[in-house]
Amino acid sequence: MNDPIDATSPVPDGPGPAPSADAPTRPGALLHVDHVSKVYGSGHTAVTALDDATMAVDQGEFVALLGPSGSGKTTLISIIGGLLSATSGTVRIGDVDVTALSRRELTRFRAERVGFVFQSANLVPFLTARENLLYVATLVKTPKKAAQQRADQLLEELGLADRAKNLPEQLSGGERQRVAIGRALMNDPDLVLVDEPTAALDTALGRQVVQLLRREIKDRGKTGIMVTHDLRMVEYTDRVFEILDGHLTHVEEPSALKH
Amino acid sequence: MSLAGTEIKRAKLRFGLLTGAVSLLVFLVLLLSTLSGALIGALVGALQGLRTDGLVYADFARDNIAASRMEPSVVDAVAAVPGVANAAAVGTFTTAADIAGQQVDVQVFGFEPDGPGSPSGLSDGRLPSAPGEAAVDGGDVAIGDTITLDPAGTDLTVVGLLRGAQFNAIPTMYVDLDTYVEAAAATNPGLPFVPINAVAFAVQPDADVATVASAITSDVPGVKGYTRDDAVALIPGIESITQSFGILVGLTFIIGIVVIGFFFLILTVQKLKPFTLLRAIGTGTGRLAATVAIQITIVVWLASAIALGLTLLAVRGLNTGIPVQLDPQLILTTILAVWIFSLLAGLLSIRRIARIDPASAVGAR
Repeated sequence: MNDPIDATSPVPDGPGPAPSADAPTRPGALLHVDHVSKVYGSGHTAVTALDDATMAVDQGEFVALLGPSGSGKTTLISIIGGLLSATSGTVRIGDVDVTALSRRELTRFRAERVGFVFQSANLVPFLTARENLLYVATLVKTPKKAAQQRADQLLEELGLADRAKNLPEQLSGGERQRVAIGRALMNDPDLVLVDEPTAALDTALGRQVVQLLRREIKDRGKTGIMVTHDLRMVEYTDRVFEILDGHLTHVEEPSALKH
Repeated sequence: MSLAGTEIKRAKLRFGLLTGAVSLLVFLVLLLSTLSGALIGALVGALQGLRTDGLVYADFARDNIAASRMEPSVVDAVAAVPGVANAAAVGTFTTAADIAGQQVDVQVFGFEPDGPGSPSGLSDGRLPSAPGEAAVDGGDVAIGDTITLDPAGTDLTVVGLLRGAQFNAIPTMYVDLDTYVEAAAATNPGLPFVPINAVAFAVQPDADVATVASAITSDVPGVKGYTRDDAVALIPGIESITQSFGILVGLTFIIGIVVIGFFFLILTVQKLKPFTLLRAIGTGTGRLAATVAIQITIVVWLASAIALGLTLLAVRGLNTGIPVQLDPQLILTTILAVWIFSLLAGLLSIRRIARIDPASAVGAR
């Protein structure tokens, strides 16, 4: 990600403590990230984007992933979401070992088990808000009527019922993010991965969107991971992880980050 | 939900312009194919349409029916060759004629109504069966009209209209052999006899035409036998003309296909961001490839329909001096070829889609 971390962030300069020491052991967690590393290139040009990351997130938890630009947080959620393969380590979501899936299986896994809210490239520009939701239902072959009912219900909950027939270009930034949240929840995924949801929004709108995101994730008992550089959004999450130079740490006292 | 159809519905202007451009390319290919087919047909249609298995020319004629001169007795010699079922004389010459008060060049063919060598392609009326009657292709004549051959002064009554039966791209008339001999003698006074130009022959049911043609060449002195297709293909200059038109139409076709392929590649490159998003949220490469293929199919068939309409208008509006007819088989083949090769050109786009890294949706890498 290109967004710099908030200037007020007291992110330490050096690598943090051993990641596995900070990641709580949660045998019943939905998401298990075990000693995951990602190295780009090889030999002298090798760059370690993620170094031995370990974390576990319970079902129903909404956690934040903080870190400066280039720290490895985007790499981590990409591996968790099956968009990128790990160099070593494993990622399990429920009983599925994501790191063992083939490319084709990963495509299906993403459609069925993961909801994404991206910072950019967020909506299909030639589909209306409602069609953006309905499209993902076709990926898992949801019956048309059931899909329509669910899309309408989600749009209603997200306050977008009257914008259902609008194309993305006719929506405001906040409305587009809300449609993206609806799309992420459309296929009833286990995990919702959110990448910088407030990056293009002003503070008030950003808070609104994250509040809504938390409510939707919590109400549905989903597991959410939000990548953000905005420390003010941390208060809406249950736990905070931080990545620096590829090292993942669990932040025990998120409130301390603000000082 | 069809991504292909929905996108077209939402981007009418973009796809409308694309369809318009593709329709012009298809129109160009259709028109060139039709005109070249019509011109070649007008040059050699007479020989292509003769109801005969093969033809015999004088061996000095260098494969050219117009240069061939033979005594009528050759017909009996050809008929006696093993494998020949039937043989008949064919004569032809170019002369001037008076058609509705206008002097025009015409080609005259004489044939024996009961033997091989009669024309095909009758669109109206009947073939001549009595002296003074003619079946005609071109010249803007109607049944019942009278044509006067100059300078012989032979009057011909039009009893039938033909299509695709011209020779040398001028109006061509078919008369019975007696009328032909009379007109040829009057046109060339002083000849001891009117020579024939060719012998048309039909082979027996179990005989091979090429073998029989070779047998005629070796058995009958001073002549050369041809299958009908060989006789057409060997007309002087026709191979060059056919090849030139083939290159012209082929190049237009290839350029058209490449341009269509580039059009869709440009569209794909413009849509890389949404395609990346679609890949990231779980859309398979196959589905995106199908989207491109469906859009190519919709655009090409819609464009072909428009191009067909334009070609019809052009054929009616253009005054080419030769009879131009739309050939349904040629049109269907051309459109199918454009469609299939456009899909192949679409592989450029599909290859680009297959290379999309879904991780780039979140900026990883």
